[in-house]
Amino acid sequence: MQLSINGRAYEVDAEPDEPLLWVLRDALGLTGTKYGCGLGICGSCTVHLDGVATRSCVTPVSTIEGRAITTIEGLAQLVDDVEVLHPVQQAFIDEQVPQCAWCMSGQMMTAAAFIETNAAPTDEEINVAMGANYCRCGCYTRIKVAVARAAELARERGEA
Amino acid sequence: MSDTEQSKPEKRGMNRRTFLKVLGGGTAALAVGVVIGGPTIVREARLRINQAFLSGDAPTSPPPESPFVWIEIGADNQAYLYIPKVELGQGIHTTLAQIAADEMELDWQQVTARQADTERGFDPQLIFTFGSTSVTSLYAPIREIGATLREMLRVEGARQFGLDVAAVRVGNSAVFVVEDEQRRLTYGEIIAAKQGEWVLPTTQAALKPSSEFRYIGQSVQRVDLRDKVTGRAMYGYDVRLDGMLYGAVARPPQYGATLKRAAAGDAESQPGVFAVVIQDGFAGVVAESRRKARAALEHLDLEWEGGTTITQPEIEAIVSVPREGGTLIQRDGDVDGAGGRRVEAAYRVPMAIHAQMEPQAAAAHVQGDRAMIFCSTQAPGLTRERIAAAIALDEQAIHVVPTMVGGGFGRKTGVDVGVEAALLSQAAGVPVHVGWTREEDTRYGYRRPPAANFLWATVSDAGEVLAIHHEIASSDILLNPQVGSAFLGTVLGTDPLAAYGGLIHYAIPNRRVVYHHCPIPVPTAYWRGLGSFPNTFAIESFIDELAEATSSDALDFRLRYLPEGELGERFSTVLNAVADASGWHERDSLPAGRGLGFASAYDRGTVVGVVAEVSVTDANIRVERVWCAVDPGLVVNPDGAAAQVQGSIVWGVGSALIEEQVIANGMSTSQNFDGYPLLTIAQTPEITVLPISSGDTPVGGLGEPVVGAVPPAIANALAAITGRRFRRMPFRL
Ligand code: FES
Ligand code: FES
Repeated sequence: MQLSINGRAYEVDAEPDEPLLWVLRDALGLTGTKYGCGLGICGSCTVHLDGVATRSCVTPVSTIEGRAITTIEGLAQLVDDVEVLHPVQQAFIDEQVPQCAWCMSGQMMTAAAFIETNAAPTDEEINVAMGANYCRCGCYTRIKVAVARAAELARERGEA
Repeated sequence: MSDTEQSKPEKRGMNRRTFLKVLGGGTAALAVGVVIGGPTIVREARLRINQAFLSGDAPTSPPPESPFVWIEIGADNQAYLYIPKVELGQGIHTTLAQIAADEMELDWQQVTARQADTERGFDPQLIFTFGSTSVTSLYAPIREIGATLREMLRVEGARQFGLDVAAVRVGNSAVFVVEDEQRRLTYGEIIAAKQGEWVLPTTQAALKPSSEFRYIGQSVQRVDLRDKVTGRAMYGYDVRLDGMLYGAVARPPQYGATLKRAAAGDAESQPGVFAVVIQDGFAGVVAESRRKARAALEHLDLEWEGGTTITQPEIEAIVSVPREGGTLIQRDGDVDGAGGRRVEAAYRVPMAIHAQMEPQAAAAHVQGDRAMIFCSTQAPGLTRERIAAAIALDEQAIHVVPTMVGGGFGRKTGVDVGVEAALLSQAAGVPVHVGWTREEDTRYGYRRPPAANFLWATVSDAGEVLAIHHEIASSDILLNPQVGSAFLGTVLGTDPLAAYGGLIHYAIPNRRVVYHHCPIPVPTAYWRGLGSFPNTFAIESFIDELAEATSSDALDFRLRYLPEGELGERFSTVLNAVADASGWHERDSLPAGRGLGFASAYDRGTVVGVVAEVSVTDANIRVERVWCAVDPGLVVNPDGAAAQVQGSIVWGVGSALIEEQVIANGMSTSQNFDGYPLLTIAQTPEITVLPISSGDTPVGGLGEPVVGAVPPAIANALAAITGRRFRRMPFRL
């Protein structure tokens, strides 16, 4: 089947019920998307399907043919061969958020989709949007600050 | 063992003999390292220099003896620091690079931190990244080697200028002429132009005075984050080797069960199966995908025997206090003859799992008489040792590459998954990756030992505490043979890691601490905080109860019984700082249903003070705010320190309110996060960290000491609100 990932077409040979997560990681080598639970609980495996944050561990690959998949590897943009980080990635570095970072692809993909829908989120809204993404290293305090900062960065870039 | 011996901050620096040696020729790069060899008690350092190693690619042959700090500077002036500790997310690559770069006068832009592995910068004991000891153990040796290298470059730079050493100055990876700063040679240029062999100085170069530090003490940004936010960082679960297949391993229905009979059944004919591997006590499958490997496991013909049927109440009966016997680990004065009115309480901490977000993972390629292992491991030396025994190869023939680790907390020692990948690869003759499922990780790892503590104290009519007695019961950490040595227990009578934090440092005249070794048939071992977690919970809760029994303020009580000398002064600073920041003295003005709780901790050199603000509404406990002052001696990276403390507080709140692993019929009842939820962002309190730098040397760690102080601060706040004591974790109303 054909998958469109980060703007590129991939031909994959997978069983229809294979979760997208394992197709990305093991079949295609896109290991930036992480496995945490396989049940849709922890959020580590979050990717975008047509811009919507989606848990790839519970998404059978056959259900998403023809949809635009974005993974953490596709979040930054290449501008004149220079990698320009997405506002969320930039904010996560600025605020020195990640520790082990195993959860962070999922955190950032969730945050990136969220700030598309809410350009100036409150703390409470961030808690709700990020409320189902586990971080065992306990980076929550910084995630909260960084998501607000990312929204601000995105606004600034939009105005520029 | 006496209290005074135990509570002293770790000896500063390392006691070692240095000898120097020059190796090789060539002028491409300068590399220098130092070895701390032998068992940790007999520490000997050997400084070694080698011009032959090029920066970058793997060396064509490993150095004859790998130094534990390996620093290379290439002709391009880039400095490669091979960090002898594993990056678990604690920022250790950054912190240790800061120390080296400062002493070497490197330009931070020209510093690249790399992971040491068994080929470069490896010492099997030293690379074990646990117990919050990385900075304290390496601060002095890294500075010494950095200073040596800096002085060698200064002398050679001056020689190349044809000037006196006094006429040049070092800075930003270069040597400058003092009279004319336009004239400079970069370290790389000096190395490229060097004729003949480098000669090591015979005396230790002077270290920089702390007033001249450029990076030490600064919140330098983490060196590993760009790769982490772009998904490029390579973890054990992410490793892909050419021709790699996937392995899965059969698991017993109960802890301790072994294979009575194992046959391939029809597993070999299942789709995608490449090999079925059955060896004594081990059955696994290698297949073209993880799914197919796991599916084929169901088709093996296995019969298990033995194993435990233990249940939770039985575990709690084994790990219980008070009881007779035990090993005395502290005795000051005469506890039994002190007299006074008795106050007592018992505490319990259940089992818990690490739940690090990346489950166990390793890739192995065993080829005849050598093996290559990529593993998410905090303990590459231990991983290698266990693999060598399992596949009957010499340790020297096994190359272990520690990858980025997706959370460790004591669980990532590679002793299970590393061995499994190696066994499967050896038998199947192909590279094999084994990545555990969350279900496997939840059930089949080792876990936090269950612990029980019992304390009593006697109080005079005047409200003086006369004596204190503490009994600790815990299952194993270091005595678990999978990660440590059961033999040690017969020598010591204690599990020293489970006893951590159990001594009473308060200046109560008569003190006694007894340890009860309580093995259970469920595997337990390292966990964040080790014994200081349950022991600090018990002691600090009991201190609050004693303060109440003597009608004292919890802060005043602690200040009154501070240990003497420098440690007491550090405590006083920390406790007052956290009290002031949290509004401790004004806590009476909090609304009903809200309260503050105080706790402190002393763990391996680090002094901690925590105040928790808790609210109780209906059936709900919420930790609203936590303040933490922490003094590990010198703080190398304040922002990194704050991150460790924030993480520790989240960990402590989760433990206090949520986490518990229950055993029924010899197996964990929870399998995944549905049965073992973690704390979320919405449940996270507002956190204020007050890092306190005392002195000019790091004396304690930061990844663990705070964890144990959080639950008692919460329990003490709950007592203030409800009038009830919460002596068992997790706390329930
Ligand atoms: S791995 Fe998908 S939600 Fe946990
Ligand atoms: S950074 Fe380690 S789990 Fe989130």
